[in-house]
Amino acid sequence: MEKIRVWDAPTRLGHWLLVGAFAAAWLTSESETWKDVHVAAGALMFAVVLFRLLWGFIGTLHARFASFAFTPAAALRYVGSLLRRQPEHFTGHNPAGSYAIFLLLGLTLVTAVSGWAAYNEFGGHLSEEFHEGAATAMLAIVAVHVGGVIVGGLLHRENLALAMLTGRKLGERPEAIGSARPGWAILLAAWACGAVWLSAYL
Amino acid sequence: MKKIVVPSLLLALALPAAAETPQQMLAGYAAEAGHGFAPSPERGRQFFIEKRSAAEKMPSCATCHTEDPAAVGKHVITGKSIEALAPVAGSARFTDAAKTEKWFRRNCKEVVGRECTPAEKADLLRFLMTKAGI
Repeated sequence: MEKIRVWDAPTRLGHWLLVGAFAAAWLTSESETWKDVHVAAGALMFAVVLFRLLWGFIGTLHARFASFAFTPAAALRYVGSLLRRQPEHFTGHNPAGSYAIFLLLGLTLVTAVSGWAAYNEFGGHLSEEFHEGAATAMLAIVAVHVGGVIVGGLLHRENLALAMLTGRKLGERPEAIGSARPGWAILLAAWACGAVWLSAYL
Repeated sequence: MKKIVVPSLLLALALPAAAETPQQMLAGYAAEAGHGFAPSPERGRQFFIEKRSAAEKMPSCATCHTEDPAAVGKHVITGKSIEALAPVAGSARFTDAAKTEKWFRRNCKEVVGRECTPAEKADLLRFLMTKAGI
């Protein structure tokens, strides 16, 4: 195995935009003074996830949903291999991580929509409760995801967080993606900026 | 034992859904404030309009809820309208103790700079109920 290009630019940019916006949303979650920032962070996450849903079909190999649609049994087998300290190698997403991704994508949509409803006082208590419940569930999955990245990274002897920054990861040469699609990353950045700007009118 | 514990747990889970009234909540805060405490709408009004320095952009409750809490308020940051704070007829204000506590905790910390005391909550609620004609 050698270092090959695995994660394309829009996948990496989207990932770190979600990280930043999720942190910002939590830090401002109890504040009225920072409410506009909280709403902008939510709108940003919603926009990034919408883009990611499209990218899951038209993106590069390892960004496509079809490349990481694993069975629950595969996820359990992977966790088992971690526990035995003999981790199965996956060049793209591993089966356990892929479940975290699908859950985080879905919960982002639920959190954003219920947050928007609560912000506009639709649905009374229910939208508020839904928003908080979904956000708390997301935080729990983020914790598992980060824990998995640390444990998996140690066992595979590979800095997985750095790989999400540089796009380069251990794999076999035929699994490498061709272009990192930087133009699509610029498009995502513009789309995300648009969402932040529009959030003032939600 | 189990025969008692399980139904009581179920009951406890069901409790937050049970509607409370502003009157019940006022009585609860007044009792918490101490024996013989009499909630005062005037002290509540003072508390409501008092300008503090904890949050620069929202010095008082009235900044967003306006000087007339029976009317629709306006969020000073987002410009969103805020349902009247006073428990006017047909309003869901002060009918869910958990929600009331949550928002007292959040907004007191931000605007007052600390959590509010039961006496302050009782006075404020007495003032809001007076405004709502209760």
